Amino acid sequence: MAGFNEIIHQPIRLQIMASLVTLAGHEEMDFTSLRELLDVTDGNLGAHLRKLEDAGYITVKKEFVERKPRSFISATSNGRKIFQEHVAALEAILKNE
Amino acid sequence: MNISPSEAEQALESIQVMVSRTKKLIANSGAYNFLILWGAVWLIGFLGNHFADGQTAAYIWIALDILGGLGSAILGIRLGRVVRTTSGLTSGRRIGMFWLLLFVYCFLMILITSPADGKQLAMIIILFVIIGWVAMGLLLSVASIWWGLGITVLALIGYFLLPDFFFIWMAVLGGGGMIALGLYIRSRW
Repeated sequence: MAGFNEIIHQPIRLQIMASLVTLAGHEEMDFTSLRELLDVTDGNLGAHLRKLEDAGYITVKKEFVERKPRSFISATSNGRKIFQEHVAALEAILKNE
Repeated sequence: MNISPSEAEQALESIQVMVSRTKKLIANSGAYNFLILWGAVWLIGFLGNHFADGQTAAYIWIALDILGGLGSAILGIRLGRVVRTTSGLTSGRRIGMFWLLLFVYCFLMILITSPADGKQLAMIIILFVIIGWVAMGLLLSVASIWWGLGITVLALIGYFLLPDFFFIWMAVLGGGGMIALGLYIRSRW
């Protein structure tokens, strides 16, 4: 199925990508905000982020802000493209119903 | 992997929900509050121009600008906690420097042209603020340019066609309009 992506299709990862592509290209989201948005645990979110990062769909920046470790996540341009193709594939399934 | 139409529909719905929740999160983090804050500054400031004497109105504006600047800094910090630009601090500093330089140039313009009255002075400041707004819009959010151009048209109408009501006009339509826009963005998202 052209454009369909099995990595992205997992429900939590689909929600992560949907949230990140909503941001502008130069923006990134705080880890805590993303976790609250998805209502998942730190470990669960971390595991899904690693999977997406390994695939090259997102980038995770870890840094210290006011002496506290914080992570900022953003979708890569390839991740945005793959996500749009995945959405198009889902829409195609509905059209061909 | 075989996906049924109902599963595809469910996935698309969950995407829509996340897009909506993300927009709401960003909005609730304070972006629309900038409009409400500066709308209130304009509303009170221009009402001061209309009802108070020149000296008192000037003091009101100075106090409002300080409060507006402090409020913007607090809102900016809150907004940055949820979403930030990838160039982060550098962009923030450049934007801050841009506004600082714009106000310096605005001050120099006022110094050189010596506006004849309060209305001319207010109009020069309004135009400089809108130049900044539109420039920021070109860089950050193109949609906001239209609101900047709309307020320019309102300000020009007030200045040229309703000179006796200029300050009230700017208070209600400029300040009130910004507050209404902020509340609209809040409710829409």
